Amino acid sequence: MSGPRRTTVLARPAAVLAAALALGAAACGGGERAGRGAGGAAVPDSARRGGTVVVGIRAEIPGVDPLVPPPDYMGAQVERYVLFMPLVQLGPDFRFQPWLARSWDVSEDSTRVVFHLRDDVTWSDGKPVTAADVAYTYRKATDPDIPFPNRAYFERWDSVQVVDAHTVRFRIRPYSQFLFGWTQVPILPEHVLGDVPDSALATHPFGTSAPVGDGPFRFVSHEQGDRWVFEANPDFPEELGGRPYVDRLALRVIPDGSTALAELARGDLDVLMNVPPEGVGRVRSDSSLRLLSFPSSSYAFVAWNTRRPLFSDVRVRRALTMAMDRKAMLDAVRHGLGSLATGPLGPWHWAYDSAWRPLPFDPDSARALLAAAGWRDTDGDGVLDRDGRPFRFTLLVPDVRVRRDMAVMMQADLRKVGVDLRPATRDFAALAGAIQDASRPYDAFLLSWNEDLVIDDRDYWSCGPDEGPLQFSGWCDRALDAVMDSIPGAMDRSLKRRLLRTYAETVERAQPYTFLFDEDRAAGVRRGLEGVSMDVRGELRTARSWWVRPGAR
Amino acid sequence: MVRYTGRRLLEAVPLLLGIVTLTFLLLHLAPGDPTTAYFNPNIPPDVIEQMRRNLGLDRPLPVQYLDWLRSFFTGHFGYSFSQHRPVAAVIGDALPNTLLLSAVSLVLIFVVGCAVGIVQAVRQYSALDQALTVGALTLYSVPGFWLGLMLILLVSTPWVSSWLHLPISGMTSIDHEFMGPWGRALDRVRHLVLPVIALGLASAAGVARYMRGAMLEVIHQDYIRTARAKGLSERRVVLRHALRNALLPVVSLLGLYLPLLFGGTVVIEVVFSWPGMGRLLYNSILARDYPVVMAATFLFGALVVAGNLVSDLLYAVVDPRVRYGEGR
Repeated sequence: MSGPRRTTVLARPAAVLAAALALGAAACGGGERAGRGAGGAAVPDSARRGGTVVVGIRAEIPGVDPLVPPPDYMGAQVERYVLFMPLVQLGPDFRFQPWLARSWDVSEDSTRVVFHLRDDVTWSDGKPVTAADVAYTYRKATDPDIPFPNRAYFERWDSVQVVDAHTVRFRIRPYSQFLFGWTQVPILPEHVLGDVPDSALATHPFGTSAPVGDGPFRFVSHEQGDRWVFEANPDFPEELGGRPYVDRLALRVIPDGSTALAELARGDLDVLMNVPPEGVGRVRSDSSLRLLSFPSSSYAFVAWNTRRPLFSDVRVRRALTMAMDRKAMLDAVRHGLGSLATGPLGPWHWAYDSAWRPLPFDPDSARALLAAAGWRDTDGDGVLDRDGRPFRFTLLVPDVRVRRDMAVMMQADLRKVGVDLRPATRDFAALAGAIQDASRPYDAFLLSWNEDLVIDDRDYWSCGPDEGPLQFSGWCDRALDAVMDSIPGAMDRSLKRRLLRTYAETVERAQPYTFLFDEDRAAGVRRGLEGVSMDVRGELRTARSWWVRPGAR
Repeated sequence: MVRYTGRRLLEAVPLLLGIVTLTFLLLHLAPGDPTTAYFNPNIPPDVIEQMRRNLGLDRPLPVQYLDWLRSFFTGHFGYSFSQHRPVAAVIGDALPNTLLLSAVSLVLIFVVGCAVGIVQAVRQYSALDQALTVGALTLYSVPGFWLGLMLILLVSTPWVSSWLHLPISGMTSIDHEFMGPWGRALDRVRHLVLPVIALGLASAAGVARYMRGAMLEVIHQDYIRTARAKGLSERRVVLRHALRNALLPVVSLLGLYLPLLFGGTVVIEVVFSWPGMGRLLYNSILARDYPVVMAATFLFGALVVAGNLVSDLLYAVVDPRVRYGEGR
């Protein structure tokens, strides 16, 4: 969920903004060079320059205009970390750090924000990056005729005013994570796109074949379905790290997992993003490679349609979870890339409590819970029944091997407690259509997806009068609504942490979903490529400070 | 011949129209639409609605169909939903790649297939014939994607890749643009080797079987014995007298192999990261990218129709007994 969509009453907005401002100021000192030195202090800066880094990705990035949907996981990283610059960067622990904006001021009543832009950043066509570009980006991101996917980031932003070439002022309605949107949406060049009508924006060559950027890398070429090539931007501000070390960064599309692994092992790829789980062992055992894995915001789950009598009882839902051997599933399909989920909040998040434990795998307790809910096998056919109706349901499963395998394992596990699960595979668009259908034509479905970095899950669980398309389970809790409503406005971290944990624990208790596992992402990296670090903020975040050992070029 | 070609082309019009209409219906019958494929917990429903309006998906189906037909007849295929470019440009990028792959495979299929078939027929029941038969039947039964993966594993073993560093994915090397003209040409050829083998070998094995059969039928006929009796060299007998007649049934296979090839590219292009039509079509179907799917289906249909026509015409060229249209 991105940004608040429902009105939230804030306790002390001024304090929120003041706190955020203090964080920004603290991070202002450019510690970038120091950060880059880690991992290879013996090699001087000058010797780190040069070489091409070839990165294997698994799916085509159709375009790099952030305003044009669909949002794409790798594409968004290219926009944010390679080609363009957002105003603000997401630091460690999700603190805000200056980036294109050198600093920002917030008015006493927290309704005005002023960004002071760097004056040493230029677009790749030589024009300077100015406040007009920021105003343009804001106007387009909030334009109702443009289906910008993350419009909600700026829902509480009301107007923009260009003060001078490098100063831009916004009027906002205060909330705590107000800067988050500016870490995600990079600034776009008005002098290139300003005259393009809204309807022509999606098909403008800017996004696919002629982007004009201001980021650490510049666009070189894009061959559809094949590759994107970027080169180091020699004019990238020295204070922000200067020109990237590598001369070129190429992203190659290799859809087949085994082909991609073979390319990595042969040395024709320097980095392979999203190593398929079955290849993890191969990467680990190859002395010329190393595996970087990190908790991502993605989790796998089964959503129970609690509107149906089968799943309306919390005891039944907990029993179903406890009947599933989730560890065996994790080992079999993810080869250990992940951890058992303990609710909607994963270990990637700063509010995650490491004391949380998943519901145990305990078929006996599951049987007892089902019996307590009135489910017994009266006709001796091995399937529980109640009021003459068997416990039988259909699980919608994406038509992907991993998910099919999981469904089969679940089927076997549930069989042992007398529950008859019938898997039904659907291709992704069909599944997405079915689960968002207002008539809720499903018993349960299996899915995994990326949680937004700012947790606001009201669209899944809210009791509000009008049900949104994402309320898959139909479960809600009035007390939880109050908690969720106060999360976006919570000004200090300890309060926010408490609220988030209450939220996560409440959902975990009610099990409207069976949270299966939080998924780790893994990348294979060739030894000799240094300065690579990856976390939930993205694999390409540090690309500008990657360097290739001279012997490995 | 001209009239015959004209009639065949005219007949193709309702056929192709039927193909695209059926495709249109099937696409819209399948659950989900392009915006459900964008489905993502982070996108609010009103944005999805706006997307749907921008793509024109909120209009009634017949209107969408007529609109597509109009844009199709004016030669403008519309814009790809998922690639944000004109469909003509999207296909213009992918089609030559697939044609290159298929054309080279087709040459491989017929040259290798015929050569092996001839050798087998001439040396019927020899150890070589038996070995080639077993080999051909094995290859014929091997699915292309599996063969592709095995080839990739084979050339990736350190022992093989030390002396034969064949590329296993993509169409060009990453430093392609820095190569000289000869280097570039060689680079492209090297990238073609594995996909062409994976795509064509099974079909080549099939052609070899046909060729062997056709050749055997011819080689025992009287005029061949006559040719031998005249004292012609065996090479001349086989390659001139026998081959011409034996080729007739094989040439008609051409039309059959085209759809097979295009079908095969879908899998082969995924395995070898070949940015062609097969992969484009596959991804577009998953993304419900209607304009691209429609245009691609039409093109594949047209190519198959054209392929069949060419093979029928070729038949007339190689067999003087066949005459089309003139009623002689």
